[in-house]
Amino acid sequence: MTAVAAAPSASADRRATHFVGVILGVLLLAAYFALPFVNQPELGATGITTLTQRGNNEFELETNGLVLLPIAAAAALGLGLWTVFSPRHERVTSILIGGSGVVALAYFIIFFKAYLEAKGSSYLGSMAFGFWAMLALAVLMIAQTVLPRASTGEEFSIRRVLGNQEMILLGGLIALVTIVGISNPRYLAERNITDVLQSHAYIAVAAIGTTMVIITGNIDISIGSLVGLLAIISGRIATDTGLIWLAWLAPPVLGMVAGGVTGFLVAYMRIPSIVVTLGMLSILKGMLLIWTAGSRVVDLPEGFFLAQMRPLNIPMPVWFMVVLTILAALWMRYSGFGRSLYAVGGNKEAARLSGLSEHRIVFQVFVINGFFVGISSVLYATQLTIIQATPPPGMELTVITAAVVGGVSILGGTGTAIGATLAAILLSAIRSSMVFVNLSPFWLRAVQGLLILVTVLADLLRRRRQRV
Amino acid sequence: MALQDAPVPVTETRKPLGARVRHLLLSQEGVLFIILVVSVLFLAARTDKFLQASNLLTQGRLMVEVGLVALPMTFIIITGGIDLSVGSILGLTAIMLGVFWNNVGLPLELSVVLALGVATLAGFLNGLFIVRVGVPPLIMTLATLAFYRGLAEGISEGRSVRGYPEWFYRVGQGDFLGLPTQIWFLIIGIIISAVILSRTTFGRTLYAIGNNEVGARFSGLRVDRAKLLIYSFSGLMSGLAGWIFVSRVTTTRSDMGSGLELDVIAAVVLGGTSIFGGTGSITGTVIGMILIQLLKNGLALNGVTADATIIVIGLVLIFSILVNNFIQSRRQVE
Repeated sequence: MTAVAAAPSASADRRATHFVGVILGVLLLAAYFALPFVNQPELGATGITTLTQRGNNEFELETNGLVLLPIAAAAALGLGLWTVFSPRHERVTSILIGGSGVVALAYFIIFFKAYLEAKGSSYLGSMAFGFWAMLALAVLMIAQTVLPRASTGEEFSIRRVLGNQEMILLGGLIALVTIVGISNPRYLAERNITDVLQSHAYIAVAAIGTTMVIITGNIDISIGSLVGLLAIISGRIATDTGLIWLAWLAPPVLGMVAGGVTGFLVAYMRIPSIVVTLGMLSILKGMLLIWTAGSRVVDLPEGFFLAQMRPLNIPMPVWFMVVLTILAALWMRYSGFGRSLYAVGGNKEAARLSGLSEHRIVFQVFVINGFFVGISSVLYATQLTIIQATPPPGMELTVITAAVVGGVSILGGTGTAIGATLAAILLSAIRSSMVFVNLSPFWLRAVQGLLILVTVLADLLRRRRQRV
Repeated sequence: MALQDAPVPVTETRKPLGARVRHLLLSQEGVLFIILVVSVLFLAARTDKFLQASNLLTQGRLMVEVGLVALPMTFIIITGGIDLSVGSILGLTAIMLGVFWNNVGLPLELSVVLALGVATLAGFLNGLFIVRVGVPPLIMTLATLAFYRGLAEGISEGRSVRGYPEWFYRVGQGDFLGLPTQIWFLIIGIIISAVILSRTTFGRTLYAIGNNEVGARFSGLRVDRAKLLIYSFSGLMSGLAGWIFVSRVTTTRSDMGSGLELDVIAAVVLGGTSIFGGTGSITGTVIGMILIQLLKNGLALNGVTADATIIVIGLVLIFSILVNNFIQSRRQVE
């Protein structure tokens, strides 16, 4: 960070609004390219013309209408990038961005009319997510140029409230649920909402630990392997001994042991955390594969399935997620240890001079992370009737995504448990919504990646503005 | 470092031979080389197959994809950065190659070139955001790790492409001058990278960035350009690895290369390149990748399952850095 600060650059005076142009452009383009996949996969998905439907429902979609969209989006993207990367921004550029927004909007009006007139408007229903999302983006693009801009110095206080990561996530979540809910009311069905909340609960729990680790300026990429291993251990204990309480208790304890080993190597042996956890990833995964020899655990005893219980008609994973999040949030905010995490992450030297032992704190944070990973693995192990012998695929990526999108800065020093949990829920809601708007789930990972990028860009901007 | 044109203060005072040998042996490369020799001897003693030419050539063939990507990764880690997206770029390249050829209907040669172009662009984008916007490399490439893989999955929708013409497999399966074709790519890549890193101002710039980026900037070194170049280079090499991979396994799938970044980083870090930047060498990386590949193979030939092998690699990774840290701290005391 010092490098960026010290280097002579014009970047300090770039504004959030310029990034909006880029992000919108990217989203518009993505949405456009997603469109053929979304709606009519059987029509083939290579180009603009393929969307012309000639089937039963007779929607006379004009291909030339669609052509406008990528042009507008590409224009916005190009211009947005220009304004971001060029040292100076000009009125002309903003007018052009706004103009492409108008074009996109005009396109939508044509598009919408065509569909209203077309018979069997179910087609609109099936594609409504992309449609409404793009419409909203077009409006935003125009708003971006029309609305007065805050100059880099001043700041609205309301902006600060709305600008905090939790509020943004909450807003995003509400917007997503509303949009998808309008397009497909079944999305709002109680069953689905419950599913959204509980399916990523184990991610959220692990993300709390990861948030703490990242706050101190470290990282843990071995989560997936550890969860896989602990889940199998838990299952084996349940099947072999029948002691269900032990099966539930062992993962958090063993997780803390594993976290202790990692923490020891990182804190006292001074090996960078990414290297240690890279090594741990291999070791734990190898242990898992050798031990199980690829066979999953079946025939689990009756009372084992913690994650399937529903006290007060609320699924257990949701209980765990909510309670642990609140406890962790309070603890991180008000306890001495919690504050020392931020101190170590924010400024190591200052923390050391104030008498905090960096080694001990880093060691402890890895142990605590192990505890959360352990709980997460119990939830993971008990959610189905079998336990797979492989680590949950891509879990560390999803967990780190949740932590980062939740507002933890990889530069250390910021982040909250609530943010991480909200982000995990958002990821879950996005995944679920893809099914409801007929978007191929194959795009999920791309959405995750974009989400990280957008969050980090926003974070960088906020930091820049604060410094100014 | 600060004054490149000024006569370099004489740091290379001739030490006695014994001290120099000792210095060499105690460097990370030296330690690794000893580990390598010991493990080769050990494994060779246990099984006859291990040291046979055909086995070693096969291992060389398997090593190329990781090896090619490890070269730019060495550059990047030396500057204090990291590139986690290499595996995803590999997958994206494989998919783009298949899509250009099979779905768009371009000639295969052109498809390869275009796919490599996409890979380079992917790397360039990483670099652009890292340099111009100031996104930390770890996060930027983590985002694109997901994003590029997502593109590959979304574009292919999980379908694979097969049925390439016969000549296409020559790169991944054929031989050239007695060695598997792709090993030549690796050898040329190693030589070029080693020369660039140790014999050019560009190479010195990379070390300077890793040691003190602000200092490098104020010394008038073109830090941003160097970073853009190495991230683009990383994209290109990942693409190249993707091409070779497709040619070797004769099919295109979107999950190709997942986890590659871990193997690559393991090889580079094992080779003595500090994850904090500033030190490292291509020699170390080469020894690191050979060590990993031979360990995998030798253990497998000794009847150790592939799963146990990754435990050994994890242990070797942590252990070698522990040893290195220990040696470095002793040297500092001296």
